[in-house]
Amino acid sequence: MPSAPEGMNRTGNHQMIHPLLPTPSLWQTKVRDTIPARFAWPLFWNGDQFCWDLTWEEISECSSRRAMGVCGCCGALRPRYKRLVDNIFPEDPEDGLVKTNMEKLTFYALSAPEKLDRIGAYLSERLIRDVGRHRYGYVCIAMEALDQLLMACHCQSINLFVESFLKMVAKLLESEKSNLQILGTNSFVKFANIEEDTPSYHRSYDFFVSRFSEMCHSSHDELEIRTKIRMSGIKGLQGVVRKTVNDELQANIWDPQHMDKIVPSLLFNLQHAEEAESRSPSPLQATEKEKESPTELAERCLRELLGRAAYGNIKNAIKPVLIHLDNHSLWEPKTFAIRCFKIIMYSIQPQHSHLVIQQLLGHLDANSKSAATVRAGIVEVLSEAAVIAASGSVGPTVLEVFNTLLRQLRLSIDYELTGSYDCAVVSTKIIKEHEERMFQEAVIKTTGSFASTLPTYQRSEVMLFIMSKVPLPSLHHAIDAGKAGENRNRLTQIMLLKSLLQVSTGFQCSNMLTALPSSFLDRLLSAALMEDADLRLFVLEILISFIDRHGNRPKFSTISTINDISVLKLKVDKCSRQDTVFMKKHSQQLYRHIYLTSKEESNVQPHYEALYSMLALISIELANEEVVVDLIRLVLAVQEIAQINEDNLPVYNRCALYALGAAYLNLISQLTTVPAFCQHIHEVLETRQKEAPYLLPEDVFVEMPRLTKSLDHLVPEVFFRQSKISEVLGGSGYNSDRLSTPYIPQLTDEDRLSKRKSIGETISLQVEVESRNSPEKEERAPAEEITYETLKKAIVDSVAVEEQERERRRLVVEKFQKAPFEEIAAHCGARASLLQSKLNQIFEITIRPPPSPSGTITAAYGQPQNHSIPVYEMKFPDLCVY
Amino acid sequence: MSMEDYDFLFKIVLIGNAGVGKTCLVRRFTQGLFPPGQGATIGVDFMIKTVEIKGEKVKLQIWDTAGQERFRSITQSYYRSANALILTYDITCEESFRCLPEWLREIEQYASNKVITVLVGNKIDLAEKREVSKQRAEEFSEAQNMYYLETSAKESDNVEKLFLDLACRLISEARQNTLVNNVASPLPGEGKSISYLTCCNFN
Repeated sequence: MPSAPEGMNRTGNHQMIHPLLPTPSLWQTKVRDTIPARFAWPLFWNGDQFCWDLTWEEISECSSRRAMGVCGCCGALRPRYKRLVDNIFPEDPEDGLVKTNMEKLTFYALSAPEKLDRIGAYLSERLIRDVGRHRYGYVCIAMEALDQLLMACHCQSINLFVESFLKMVAKLLESEKSNLQILGTNSFVKFANIEEDTPSYHRSYDFFVSRFSEMCHSSHDELEIRTKIRMSGIKGLQGVVRKTVNDELQANIWDPQHMDKIVPSLLFNLQHAEEAESRSPSPLQATEKEKESPTELAERCLRELLGRAAYGNIKNAIKPVLIHLDNHSLWEPKTFAIRCFKIIMYSIQPQHSHLVIQQLLGHLDANSKSAATVRAGIVEVLSEAAVIAASGSVGPTVLEVFNTLLRQLRLSIDYELTGSYDCAVVSTKIIKEHEERMFQEAVIKTTGSFASTLPTYQRSEVMLFIMSKVPLPSLHHAIDAGKAGENRNRLTQIMLLKSLLQVSTGFQCSNMLTALPSSFLDRLLSAALMEDADLRLFVLEILISFIDRHGNRPKFSTISTINDISVLKLKVDKCSRQDTVFMKKHSQQLYRHIYLTSKEESNVQPHYEALYSMLALISIELANEEVVVDLIRLVLAVQEIAQINEDNLPVYNRCALYALGAAYLNLISQLTTVPAFCQHIHEVLETRQKEAPYLLPEDVFVEMPRLTKSLDHLVPEVFFRQSKISEVLGGSGYNSDRLSTPYIPQLTDEDRLSKRKSIGETISLQVEVESRNSPEKEERAPAEEITYETLKKAIVDSVAVEEQERERRRLVVEKFQKAPFEEIAAHCGARASLLQSKLNQIFEITIRPPPSPSGTITAAYGQPQNHSIPVYEMKFPDLCVY
Repeated sequence: MSMEDYDFLFKIVLIGNAGVGKTCLVRRFTQGLFPPGQGATIGVDFMIKTVEIKGEKVKLQIWDTAGQERFRSITQSYYRSANALILTYDITCEESFRCLPEWLREIEQYASNKVITVLVGNKIDLAEKREVSKQRAEEFSEAQNMYYLETSAKESDNVEKLFLDLACRLISEARQNTLVNNVASPLPGEGKSISYLTCCNFN
């Protein structure tokens, strides 16, 4: 029989003792030393019956009613619950819990739930005593009993019982013995899985969170025990989370004070996966392979935690992750950081994923001055996270995301150029150029992966945004002067265009007109981006990725003259109406760009390849008859560049242009399937093959171009002739008039004034400037003798005509720009009324109105008129005038 | 009426640079031993020691933190609930002394404003290697309004005194405070009065 606790006055249930009774410590200890427990419960006369089953209170109540003398025999009384509790402990702790007595206790607790808290208190008292006396066998038994009671009695009365229970767990956790810590944790985990229906406002888990987090960091000497303690810690944390996460009234587990402990503890265990596995597993561990490692457990716990995080809690949960990665410098090898964020992104509720992205972006900003490798790590993580979050990654602030990335890009360029993080302060850190480069590449890649998650309309918005950030010389933006400024501009332009290229790859717009608005195209095609060979190539690539919507691009990656294009298996759709409108509006700009780009001396093979792809893709994606005609004219004009050679291009460039023309005309002739056209092209190609193979792509666009020394003495048969082409195509219904007119690039104001300034907005009037007054050009064969005089005349003439045309255009534009709105309206209105009267006349001639024209007309003007009005009576609404 | 095995519970957190002997101080006090070749603490370590002061049982919950920079964020999270902080430096290491202002800033930022801070210069057994004079440390602690003590975990000099003095101060501090129970914030599960007053005893 267990001896009575010392200091019963301190730990006993004081309020049970009636004030009239003598101090319990005195008589309890005295009597119990002499009477065995099972006989300690005397018969008690209660009115007219003997009571065996009276509780302590009942007896003390009775005794207070009677004379004090009766109490003498009450000295041996022990409350029944205590007796039941005592009985579950065996004589020898090795024997384990006395099962039958435990059943009795459980039955008693179930039938008298109000006693549960006292049972708990007594059990805990015994347990604390046993811990103090190192009687661990009894400790285990007490815990087992508690667990069983807890499981049996999960009802509303559990609340008070839990108090004692938690105190016992805490007591076990305070111990230095790992066994007790684990025992306590296991009980706690069982408890955590019970759902309580009554909240307990005053319960606090501070100690548990602190202690479990500490256990997660256990540094016990023995690996096996250390692993066990760490696992216990993780399970404990999981328990706390489960217990509290759903109950707003309980301790808020999402507070930073808890999160700052829980999250790093889990990450710490997650991070040590390799370390633990690399140690040779003992045979014991090998057999328990099915058991989880701390790493797996930590991962599961982290997932559970994040899965439960609500909108407002994400921040508190993610911040410790970022700080942990900072502190343990885990951005640099980045595998762990990526793993962490993969876990986060996959387990978090998808509608919250943009919050994570935002926090990462914020962290990137906060780390602006950290080493490039750290920033690169963060950006890589961002890129991975964005892919997982897919459509949810960007959230409501689309441009903010890209703005941050572009800002980082610019900062990095600055760092690279200035060589320090801060211009004013001499930085101690050395900036490594190649690391900055790596960072920039990472940012560009990330920009791409973000953009790929966006819907089409947002993507083109983003592209506009990026384009607007490209520094271009204009009136509004003074460009940095000086060599450094120019260098910086160039780098910025390159980086931004690269990002743009990333964003545009894989972009499939159904409507070119909305995807490529004038504001975008104007900037992209601006002269400033044409001077530099790299930039020029980027611009071409971006255009190509826009135009190529059927993945035909790879088929044109090498320039060649193949006999049968069917081997390419081109995917061709009919050019849509919107595309036709787009070409009407912007084709001249595009042609001009192609023309001017081909003229550049610094072009190398990739440029020509890009030009070829561009021409080919326009022909496939956007071509109608008119466009085909224009493209042929354009290519012939390009041939002329090489032929006349005003710019003194080197032989390579000229050959390349000839070859480009040959390849394209070969392609287009087969696309148009006009036999005579194909015939002509074929003939020229054959002649070249014999006479001048260096004018064919097969000889030019190879690693070692086989060129000739001089291109001065070429026979006319090696050239494609405009007159011939217009003749053969005219026969097949193509516009031969237009075909026979040589292409001259449309000049913009930008060119006219200077290459460095542009006039605010160029109103694009679709007036084709054609110099019809130079018939020589049409007829001119290369062999024909051209004198200086004729050339001069031709140029002066065409310029004069052009000047007139331009003047007229300017007047019109000016009128529309300067005249008050009413005046323009009146002008148009006058025309409209003229039309109206004409229409009235026509309608008067016809006696009866057509049966149902009103429907179509009202629909066309969007007027909700349901009743039929004869068309001739209908007035055009005023709005239509404007 | 209390069912606890103590009258007061205080949380003490040890902080300071890595390698100044925080863990050794705690071991010496709680277990009475000096572990030679003690490795760096990982994250946090936890010890309990109950002492009796003037008849009162005082339970000291001691959280020993890692000095390494990489654990800084998790150790900081333990400052908040501390009743007392023991800021430790190594008298044979000038660097550990020079870092003290930085530590004070952290305390300012993360710990409660009622926290009691003690400055401890450890390793006085290595007097011949002393780099920080006692006077300098005293002046510093005075300027910062801190209690100062020099200890040796190895020789067990002043270690008991450090913790017992601290406990005394915490008790008097707690007594001054009218809400005694709130200072030693209760352990989880301590329902105290609520549970028994509302419970029906007689049926």
